Amino acid sequence: MTGEHSFTIVIAMKRNEHVEKIIGFYHARKRMPSYREIMRLTGFKSTNAVYKFVEKLVAANLVKKDGQSRLIPTGLMNETPVLGRVEAGFPSPAEEELVDTMSIDEYLIENREATYLLKVSGDSMIGAGIMAGDLVLVERKGDARDGEIVIAEVDHKWTMKYLRKKSGRIFLEAANEKYKPIIPKEELKIAAVVKAVIRKY
Amino acid sequence: MSYDAALSIGSFPRAILHIDGDAFFASCEQSRNPALRGKPVVTGKERGIASSMSYEAKACGVTRAMPLHEIRKRCPNVVILPSDYETYSLLSKRLYAIVRRYTPDVEEYGIDECFADITGLRRPLHMSYEQIAERIKRELDTELGFTFSIGLAPNKVVAKVASKWKKPSGLTVIPAREIHTFLENLPAEKIWGIGRHTSNYLEKLGITTALQFARMRESEVRARFSKPFYEIWQELNGRFILPLTLEEKTSQASIQKMRTFTPPSNDKKFVFAQLSKNIENACIKARRYKLAARRITILLRTSTFHDTAAELSLSHGSAFPDEIVTACESPFNSLFNPRVTYRATAVILTKFEPVLSQQPDLFGESVRVERLVKLYDAVDAIAARYGKHTAFLGSSFAAHAYAQHKGDRGDAPERKHMGIKGETKRQRLNIPMFIGDVS
Repeated sequence: MTGEHSFTIVIAMKRNEHVEKIIGFYHARKRMPSYREIMRLTGFKSTNAVYKFVEKLVAANLVKKDGQSRLIPTGLMNETPVLGRVEAGFPSPAEEELVDTMSIDEYLIENREATYLLKVSGDSMIGAGIMAGDLVLVERKGDARDGEIVIAEVDHKWTMKYLRKKSGRIFLEAANEKYKPIIPKEELKIAAVVKAVIRKY
Repeated sequence: MSYDAALSIGSFPRAILHIDGDAFFASCEQSRNPALRGKPVVTGKERGIASSMSYEAKACGVTRAMPLHEIRKRCPNVVILPSDYETYSLLSKRLYAIVRRYTPDVEEYGIDECFADITGLRRPLHMSYEQIAERIKRELDTELGFTFSIGLAPNKVVAKVASKWKKPSGLTVIPAREIHTFLENLPAEKIWGIGRHTSNYLEKLGITTALQFARMRESEVRARFSKPFYEIWQELNGRFILPLTLEEKTSQASIQKMRTFTPPSNDKKFVFAQLSKNIENACIKARRYKLAARRITILLRTSTFHDTAAELSLSHGSAFPDEIVTACESPFNSLFNPRVTYRATAVILTKFEPVLSQQPDLFGESVRVERLVKLYDAVDAIAARYGKHTAFLGSSFAAHAYAQHKGDRGDAPERKHMGIKGETKRQRLNIPMFIGDVS
C-alpha cells in the first residue's frame, strides 16, 4: 500500500466504530486495551476474532505489537488528518472541522512547564538575528545538542551562545566576530535551550 | 509487644507521593538569577522577616520569620529580596502541572507542595512506583531549575515523613512494612498534624517518639484523643485514611487581609487608614466570590509583635467597605492605644452567605443596600478598567498616599520593572523570566 491509497484506508479504518471505541478507551485510560478488553468493547465473540481485527490494524500501520503482544498506538492516535488529501472531490464541511488550528502560544511553546523568557542584552548573537532588547523563549532541558543556541551559566552570569561539540570538545561560540569562543575550564552549566525570538515593534 | 515488629505488612496498598520544593521561594530566585547561585538568599524583605531562605542562608543559622536586622548580623553577605509572588505562583502552577502528567489525583496542598495518588499506575506506565517518583522528580528538577524532595508511602501522613527524611533533593520510599524503622527515632511532634499541645500531652503519657505513639493500643488512642489524632495514628500504622482533596478551592471559609507598614506608627488616623484599606481589599475579594460576610474580626499588631483583636457581627451579610469600615470604627477606637506603635493591621471576614440569599428587611434597608450594590458595581467596573484602588474610600486615603514601606523595604521585586513592551501594570506575560544580564 502506498501514498494516497493507504491514506484512504487509514481514514476509512479510523471511522470504523470498533476503532473509535479503542480510541475512546485509550483516551480514557491512557493505555491500549488488552485483547480481552477489545473483545468486550467491540462485542466480538472470541479473542481469535479480535486477533484478526488487530492484524488488520497492524497492516494499516495504525497499531504495533510489542514483544509481549500488547498493543502500541502508532498511527491511531497522533495523526491529524490533513484536509484535501482524503478525497479527490471538494471536502465536506464535516472534514473541514478536522483541521485544527493552534494559537501563537502553542506554536512557539513546546513544553510549557519548562519555558522561560529572557531579555537579551549585548550583541554577541547578532549574527543569529538576536538583538539587544529582544525576548527569547528558552526551554530548560537536561542536555543540548551541537549547534543549538543555549543559555549557559558562566562566572555567575547568563550567556547566550551557540553550543559546539567537536571531537569531544565542548565550547560556546558567539555569532559575532568580536567575541572569542568560550572554552569552559570546568563543567559547562547549560540552563536552557533557545526556542524562539520575539521582537515586538 | 516486640519492638522491632512491623506496624503493617505489604508495601503499597496505596501509593501516595508528597512533593515538596526545597526552599521554594529562595530557590525560585536562585534558579532564575545566576548571580545568586551559591549565596545566602532570603525572601520577605517587604515583611521585615524571612519568609524563605536558601540552604546557604540556613547554614548561617537563618530561620523562618527571623527579623531582617538579625539576619544581617548573623549573615553579613546575605542577599535579601522582596517576595515576587507573581513568579512564585507561576512556578507553583508548573509544579502541579508536571505532577498531573502522571496522575489526575493531585492535591494542591500549598504553594510549594502537593500530594499525588499514583496507585495503580505501575502497569500503564510500565514503571515501579519508585521509578514514577524518580521520573517526576527528574522532570521537576530540570524544568523548574531547582530541586524537590519527594516521599513515597502508603498514605499522606507517612509520605510527609518520607519527603522530610532527606532534604534537599531527596527521594525517600517507605513501604508499609518499613514504616516502623522510620518512626523509631522521630520525635512525635515532627508528625504532620501533631502540634505542641498534643506532643506535651503525649509526653505526659510517656510517649516521645512517633513509633511509641504508633504502638499505642487502638482502644487507648480512641479513648484519649480526638478523631484527627486517631486518623494520624491509623496512617502511621500503614492504613490509608486521609483522602486527597482534589477539587480546586472555589468557595472561601474566610477572607483575611493583613498588611505590614514601615515605619511602625502610632498615628491613629494612619493606622485606621491601613485597616480601612485592608477592609476594602477583603471586600473586593468577597465580591469576586459573590459572598457577603456577617462576622468581622479586626486585628492590630504592635511593633513588638503583640496582637489585639476585636470581633463584631453585622445584622446582614455585607461586602461593602462603607458599611464595614463604619461598623469597625468603635471597636478600633477601643483597641487603639496611642502610647503604642503598630506595624500591621488585619481584617478577617467570616460567616459568609451567598449574595443572592440576602433578605430584604424592614425600615427601607433594602433600598439603601441596592444603592450600595450599584455603587460597587461601578467601583468594580472602574477597577477592572483602570486598576485596583482607582476609586477608594476617604478613610483609606492616608494608606494610599505613600508607599506601604518607606525606605528600602519598599523595593518592588525586579520582575515588576523589567519593562516588557506591551505589558501593563495589571497584565504581565504568564511565563517566568530569567533575571540578570546576558552577555
